[in-house]
Amino acid sequence: MHVLNVENLSKNYGQIKALKNIDFDVPSGTVFGILGPNGSGKTTLLGIVMDVLRPTSGSYLWNGKPGSDSQRKKIGTLLETPNFYHYLSGEDNLKIAAEIKGHGKEDIPQVLHAVNLFERRKSKFNTYSLGMKQRLAIASTLLGNPDILVFDEPTNGLDPAGIAEIRELIQQLNNDGKTIIMASHILDEVEKVCTHVAIIQKGVLKTVGSVIDVLSTSAANKIIVEVAAEDLELLKTVLSEMNGIGDIKILDNELHITCEENISAININQYCFSKGIVLSRLNVKRKSLETRFLEITGNQSDR
Amino acid sequence: MLQLFKVEWLKIRTYKTFWVLFGTFCIMFPLAFYFSAREFMKSGAGFDEKAIKAFLGSPFIFPKVWQASSWFGGLFFVMMGMLFILLITNEVQYRTHRQNIIDGWSRMDFLKAKFSLLLFLVLVATVLVFLCGLTVGMIFSKNIDDIFNGVHYIGYFALMAIVYLMVAFLISILIKRTGLSIIIYFAFVCIVDNVLWLILTLYNNQFGYFLPLESADSLVVNPFKPALLEKRTVPDNALISAVLFYIILFGFIIIRYFKRTDLKT
Repeated sequence: MHVLNVENLSKNYGQIKALKNIDFDVPSGTVFGILGPNGSGKTTLLGIVMDVLRPTSGSYLWNGKPGSDSQRKKIGTLLETPNFYHYLSGEDNLKIAAEIKGHGKEDIPQVLHAVNLFERRKSKFNTYSLGMKQRLAIASTLLGNPDILVFDEPTNGLDPAGIAEIRELIQQLNNDGKTIIMASHILDEVEKVCTHVAIIQKGVLKTVGSVIDVLSTSAANKIIVEVAAEDLELLKTVLSEMNGIGDIKILDNELHITCEENISAININQYCFSKGIVLSRLNVKRKSLETRFLEITGNQSDR
Repeated sequence: MLQLFKVEWLKIRTYKTFWVLFGTFCIMFPLAFYFSAREFMKSGAGFDEKAIKAFLGSPFIFPKVWQASSWFGGLFFVMMGMLFILLITNEVQYRTHRQNIIDGWSRMDFLKAKFSLLLFLVLVATVLVFLCGLTVGMIFSKNIDDIFNGVHYIGYFALMAIVYLMVAFLISILIKRTGLSIIIYFAFVCIVDNVLWLILTLYNNQFGYFLPLESADSLVVNPFKPALLEKRTVPDNALISAVLFYIILFGFIIIRYFKRTDLKT
């Protein structure tokens, strides 16, 4: 069962193609990360499925049905920035959101507690710090205990403790069986909380799947090993003759070598020792989403 | 509709700027109307002034007081257009128009909610205009047998109020920026409409009376203007039709535009 099906979605702003034929499904019960550099089209995509932007072509389904206002009432969404009435208190702002949703009014104290804003509930929104505004927006998404949550850059403006709290909250929500769709340009964030990921660049969907699958596609079947010895030049010469070793880079006081997956730390250590080199450092780096992401997107911002 | 208005009410309930502008209308208009009436009724000891009054017919006694109260109300109601613009462009500025949709309103719900607010402002103003007409008429009229003769002017006021707010509605939906919308609104209300009217009524031409705001304004003629100077020959019913046409036309443009547009700031 899919919570969201995005079918061939395109969006043009005049000459600019913000989204090009985006196609993917969000399985129920996942934490689905939409990852991309700034300006890649993440917010445009979420704006379309929340009906604040009109697609140029394509369509989307929520729970198998075309998007509608009654469905949006059952989805908690934070899109781009916290949008509230500046002159109203945090609590009054939540009352408006609950009134529009038609449910969740009784949840207001509880959701304010969940994001640590209960004490400041009577303060006007424009007196809030950036982090508090963000937390109020997250509180608002929790009204009515929705089964689907959409977060666009949820940790924006939060301090490290706040970021950790929100991550914990997201994982908790997912453990409770909720599906979470989350756009982010922070790889670390996606890697830590997401089960699935879609990578978008310049409006094009580069890859989509479970985080494990995305990390282990063929191009990623190489590992990076950091090694160091007293004589780096000699080490480089020796290692370049070893089977299964690809690219070697000298970085600071160590070498970063890209090798085939079947090469282990033991192989490298034994080989070097047999050539009379004693390694002062040997560290096999796990292939991270970051390296994978940079491989896919070419390490460029889309601005 | 009532549910939608409830949300609008939550938005304005503690909004200071709303209460200042709304309160100013609700206080300034009755005071200005009452004191104008008092001054007018007090003067007139001299022969000249008596002649003028006889010529005009006193605007502050029944039945003409309904027309006067509607006309005075119209002068002050222009301000409500500014308030209405502010309440709409605020949503764009705060991006709450997006949030309202995200939270589960349809785009039509958003427009309907704003229209419910429009009706609320018109209703309050109309009741106030009626009460002011009634009170001032009671105070200054010697003969109070036939007080509701001419009360249809209150209906004309309501129509005028709706069309002014629809213009404000249209401008703020299209322009989005608060300052610019207010400037355009006042330019239209105070300059463009009047200049066009002057041009279109040259040589007794009647086209000018069918302009959006002028059609409503012309229904409520300035009570100090002698009937002899009135050049309008189009009947009231034609003007009422024109006003209704404009209300529907503006509503149509607003709906068509807002349903198709990307909601951005």
